[in-house]
Amino acid sequence: MIKKNRYLLSGILVLLIVWQLFTIHADQSTIFPSPAATFKELFYQLSSADIYLAALETAWKVLAALALAILIGLPVGYLIGISDKAYDAVRPIMMFIQAVPVISWLTIVIFTWGVGWKGPVFIAFLTLFPSAAFTTANGVRTIDRRLLEMAEVYRVPQGRIFQDIYLRSLPPFIITILDLSIGQAWKVILVTEYLCGGKGLGVEILMARMNIDFTATWAMTILAAGMGLITERIIKQIMKKGRRAA
Amino acid sequence: MMKACISVSRLSHGYDSLQVINNWNIEIQQGERVVVLGPSGSGKTTFLNIISGLQKPTSGKVQVATDRIGFVFQEARLIPWCTVNENLAFAAGGQPHQELLKTLGLAGFEQYYSDELSGGMQQRVNLARALLVDPDLLILDEAFTSLDIDVKLQILHDLNRHWEERHFTLLAVTHDPKEALLLADRILILSPRPAVVRSILPNQLTERQIDAPAFIQAEAALICRLTDRN
Repeated sequence: MIKKNRYLLSGILVLLIVWQLFTIHADQSTIFPSPAATFKELFYQLSSADIYLAALETAWKVLAALALAILIGLPVGYLIGISDKAYDAVRPIMMFIQAVPVISWLTIVIFTWGVGWKGPVFIAFLTLFPSAAFTTANGVRTIDRRLLEMAEVYRVPQGRIFQDIYLRSLPPFIITILDLSIGQAWKVILVTEYLCGGKGLGVEILMARMNIDFTATWAMTILAAGMGLITERIIKQIMKKGRRAA
Repeated sequence: MMKACISVSRLSHGYDSLQVINNWNIEIQQGERVVVLGPSGSGKTTFLNIISGLQKPTSGKVQVATDRIGFVFQEARLIPWCTVNENLAFAAGGQPHQELLKTLGLAGFEQYYSDELSGGMQQRVNLARALLVDPDLLILDEAFTSLDIDVKLQILHDLNRHWEERHFTLLAVTHDPKEALLLADRILILSPRPAVVRSILPNQLTERQIDAPAFIQAEAALICRLTDRN
């Protein structure tokens, strides 16, 4: 186990050493706490049930935003992938959505829904949706044309072509979407929770900052980053198993 | 009187300024086995694509008497995420295919994916898919070019056996004289651009065995014709 992950563990070790050295050099332990102080605070936080509830709250928002991005992004991406006209028509809308900063969406969602889960999920969805659709569209465009020719020669019905060639080619795109999006989803959800979320790790980070407790802020940040990595691993494992079963 | 399965008159086709097919007139009877021999760029694959409906010709008339076509592609064109069974079902629906797989040496490989099969096995699945639609017209586009001679001979033997049973029309393109002689009732030789079609009949081969003296003679004669055409 240790041998298998030795490079990963040595990378983490280097990170902790650099962090420790930086803390000593900066001599600002209140603003930039040492690894030891941060992990001590993290374990203290983990002894309370509240932090688990907050983490779960953030995790389900991340999963909801990812699910929405995939459920809507895949069909949209499929349509713009098979039609150049649809691609040209939809592209400016996607580019606009991508270009609008999170803060502008925040203004709209706060006035529409106020503080709560809807705003973070909606903004994260908008952030992930264009790349989900473009990834799928590019994937559909790279489907081997020779397979479609083969289907044409054998006069295979369109429904069957959709099911066996297009639909069943999607799992790699879903994995790519998740790969590209999951880290971004965590970041966006945390920021939006921080600014307009009712509950969640983002709110906990906000509370810690308001209490000028930077050690707690860093401890929450470590927890959020760790959860991001764990969810990414879990989803990838599920996808891998699902793909084998399919 | 036999009916024509394929009737091509004044067929021409080009890509931009490049004319690859120039005023071809070909008629292929139902149940006939015709092999087109020619160098690269002589329009062989374009011709097959036009016959199968994948490409529209620039000009000329093409009549194909059936829409039940089996096509053995140069590359197997198997759907990579589908098993052998699923690939066959994709093209041929729910046709039972156990017997066919057995005769083509594919029994036991039904659940394999294409990347788990050798090149020869993939081509057998490609052939099985084409035969499974019970074609009136079977098209082969340099289907066995990349195979070892032993595998190629075995597949050609299987193919001839199927033809004996069903008497479908066979249209194949190749640049291998041996393959042409093993398959054809009639061989069409294409000259280089602008391609001209010349039709020859193989010698009366009583048995299509590559080591039979008559076969070796016929192959030598065909090679002479091919080198002569330039």
